[in-house]
Amino acid sequence: MATVTNWIDHLNKPADQVAGAIYPGAGSSEGLLVILAIIIWIGWHVLTSKSESEELERLSRKRHGPNDHKSNITDW
Amino acid sequence: MTDQLAALTTIFTEFYYWITVVLMFLIHVGFCMYEVGASRYKHHQHTLMKNTMLIPLVTVTWFLFGWWIYWAFPTGPGLAPSIMNESTALITDDSAFSAKFYTATSQLMAVNLGDHISGVFWAAFLLFSWTAASIVSGAIIERITTFAFGILAIAIGSVFWVIDAAWGWHFDGWMLKLLGYHDAYASGVIHAIAGGFALGVLMVLGPRIGKFSSSGEPRNIGPRNPWLVTIGLFLIYTGFWGFYAACNIPIFNLGPEYGMEGISYWTATNIYVTPTTLSGITFNFLMSLSGGLLAGYWIAKGDPFWTYSSGLAGIICASAGNDLYHPIQSMIIGMIGVVLSYKLHYWVERKFKIDDAVGAVAVHGYAGFIGLIICGFVLNGYPSSGYSVGAMWDGTTYAAINPLGMFIGAIIMFVVLGLIPGYIIAKILHGMGKLRIPREVEIAGLDYEIMETAKSDEKAVASATR
Repeated sequence: MATVTNWIDHLNKPADQVAGAIYPGAGSSEGLLVILAIIIWIGWHVLTSKSESEELERLSRKRHGPNDHKSNITDW
Repeated sequence: MTDQLAALTTIFTEFYYWITVVLMFLIHVGFCMYEVGASRYKHHQHTLMKNTMLIPLVTVTWFLFGWWIYWAFPTGPGLAPSIMNESTALITDDSAFSAKFYTATSQLMAVNLGDHISGVFWAAFLLFSWTAASIVSGAIIERITTFAFGILAIAIGSVFWVIDAAWGWHFDGWMLKLLGYHDAYASGVIHAIAGGFALGVLMVLGPRIGKFSSSGEPRNIGPRNPWLVTIGLFLIYTGFWGFYAACNIPIFNLGPEYGMEGISYWTATNIYVTPTTLSGITFNFLMSLSGGLLAGYWIAKGDPFWTYSSGLAGIICASAGNDLYHPIQSMIIGMIGVVLSYKLHYWVERKFKIDDAVGAVAVHGYAGFIGLIICGFVLNGYPSSGYSVGAMWDGTTYAAINPLGMFIGAIIMFVVLGLIPGYIIAKILHGMGKLRIPREVEIAGLDYEIMETAKSDEKAVASATR
């Protein structure tokens, strides 16, 4: 995976080869990384949307009044 | 970078934008404080989380496709030829500014020793994206679901504002060429569009419970914590300095760029590559802030919430032309923008029952819209772009700044790319039953369970003896 293993050797290369990407997997892994990011991104939305809907449904069933929260104000 | 002057210019530019990003982070800190201060106790923590989570949501999508849109769509597509390849379609060629370099799989979108600018420039624009989404966030507090806000934040932050930036900010933008659009510090490109988008969402979302009486009279809600609002707005002012700096190119040799043989002219430029100075825009930033504060204090009869917001609205209104205005022009424009925005806010609230919780539509949307129109008159005749005189273009297609072009530009920003998409996406989310929290939850408070748990913890700790 390492794109650079020796900085002196790397910087001694011709200028056009020095100026380039230096992250692990440069030139071979970008597509896969983007697919991973998209999966994580969609998965996060699905999970959080589901948990938010459950939370809202649970709370709406309790039917608290507009001032009920005042009895829960803490005074640590 | 073997040439010392090139190295100095590049490293300075890289550091300059990096600093602007750090400064602009304060805008988001300010928006979070401001929104929490404006919300009621029982909604505080959800309000904070909603605005905080737009950071990762917009950032990831900005990386995946938002930044690409900026480089891909300046010609419309199909509206005006590119100054680089004369194509009216997407820029996918091999020119230096091709959109293909800014896809998520590009090697320039990472640590690359051949590119010191892309990342910091990407980030500066990303912080603009956060701001656009955050403007919408404030207007809709206490009744929107976090899921719906996330979708709306991505839409305004990674799609719609960047389309308008491609059209009205990019050096190759069709609005510059055909309309003579000029918006140096984003009266329209950020503020009018975000305000319009927020208004579109509010039209579907509806007011908070209790905002209007049974006879339709609006009631005032909050702010609950004026001190948090105060600090938040001061931080937004502070971050706005970074915003102004980020809209400039800090060092540029315009001689060769304009095709003037043998002439070097080093200067800062605005985003359109026409000369300005950091010194000059500092005059204008502070004078438009002052104009906004003066007018806001007067018209709101000393109300702190509106006075602070008016300072911001003053800057926003003058921003379109603050690269060229005289400081006193900036101040007066800021004052005009504040008075009109304030009046419009209350007229729209009463007439259409729109509950804009923090006045975001007024401060950003109306002030930005008005600022664009005023700019068309005050800067009438100035070149809209540096490339209207440049070697890269024949000088015939970039319209000069003019009132009609700026008016059409304002409509495009506020209505076409702001209000209409906001309304449509909100309608879709509403149709899915995902837009608004249940009525019972709104009455109880989004934080009810968090508060209940905290109270129970407090009791347990208070009664503990070991």
